[in-house]
Amino acid sequence: MTVAVSLLIGAALMSWLAPTVLARRVVNGGDPLVAIVAWLTSAAAVALAALGGVVLLLLPNHGFGEPLLAALDNCWSSVQHGTPPSVEAVSGVVGALLLLGLSARLVVGAVGSARRRARRRADQLAVLRIAARRDGETLWLEHGEPLAFSLTGRPGVIVATDGLAKQLTAPQVDAVLAHERAHLTGRHHLIVAIGEAMAGAFPFLPLFKLAPGMLRELVELVADAAAVRECGADAVRSALLKVSRHGAPGTALAMSGTSMDVRVERLLDGPAPASRRRQLFSCGLAGLTAMALPVLVAAGAMFAVVTVACPA
Amino acid sequence: MHGLGELEAAVMNVLWQEQQPLKVREVLDLLETGKKLAYTTVMTVLDNLHRKGWVTRELEGKAYRYEPALSRAEAAARTVRDVLASSGDPEAVLMHFAQSATERESELLRQALPRKKRSSAS
Repeated sequence: MTVAVSLLIGAALMSWLAPTVLARRVVNGGDPLVAIVAWLTSAAAVALAALGGVVLLLLPNHGFGEPLLAALDNCWSSVQHGTPPSVEAVSGVVGALLLLGLSARLVVGAVGSARRRARRRADQLAVLRIAARRDGETLWLEHGEPLAFSLTGRPGVIVATDGLAKQLTAPQVDAVLAHERAHLTGRHHLIVAIGEAMAGAFPFLPLFKLAPGMLRELVELVADAAAVRECGADAVRSALLKVSRHGAPGTALAMSGTSMDVRVERLLDGPAPASRRRQLFSCGLAGLTAMALPVLVAAGAMFAVVTVACPA
Repeated sequence: MHGLGELEAAVMNVLWQEQQPLKVREVLDLLETGKKLAYTTVMTVLDNLHRKGWVTRELEGKAYRYEPALSRAEAAARTVRDVLASSGDPEAVLMHFAQSATERESELLRQALPRKKRSSAS
């Protein structure tokens, strides 16, 4: 019971605290790709910890709990026997049903959304193919506003307007296209779709509820970093300022007040993008930490419970 | 499917370049698609384009004359409008270079952003 509850507490704590910690790190110059890995593995860790907690509640002999706590054996059993077994069984079953329901919701939501996305992509691509001129991998639209976007799929498509080529310098255009290419090669549309599925299934935990917005922002930062590697920070920043001044009518103001600040700020005096190898290392480290964290928190919570319950 | 989309684009290209209503035969002669296409293929493509609203047609004698329903710039503008309208939509399949983040999306980052930086960056 104690191990199970501790795991559930660990999962809950993590899903409340991880978003704030990660957002602060990113704003202070942390690598956005590392933050994406940390966010996704945290979500997986929380889900696994919750699953582990429920399974332990249901198992009669609490799996691996005892050996770890051999030293605290007496105390442990007193805590354990303090709770009538029926409570465990009932909460275990309730938890299992809850998890099952939520997982089903996640799968159904994700599949439905993937289907709708595929249809929408086909529609948009059909229109784009006709309305735009193809030049290599980029589709050009005859339109005055400087705009660029990427369309998910295999292969993905980059769309840009003639206004972009006219109003931006050649290095700036290259920076914009490098940014969009990074979205496609990094599978950023998929990452955002995963975030949407997470929020759809578990809207009550911040780690899940905030995933779509946060991941959307993070992939922009990752793509900016990729463009900086290719074209330099100056080109990316000046391109961003030129394009964002136009943007969607009516929303231009909102844009300059929000995430655009983070992007411009980072391009102005942010750290240079880390080398690929270093980035890989940091991502691995972040993933491992995120995976281990609920268990560590659980251990801490359990220790606290044991200490409170059995003053030595 | 892919090939058909390419053909539609090629046919629209011809119509946009000519700036006058064309018969199927004329479109066929102006198409530059490497290999010679069958008359019926081009007719089918034009029929599809008409069904989808890309072209208008008028009967002249026994044959239709086809004309783009809107100019290339108008088509592009409409596409851009659609794209901008869909950005911020949870199921958007597009990523916009300077996407306008909605309030909800950037809530967390904005909170983490120090006040001083916020005012200096705008």
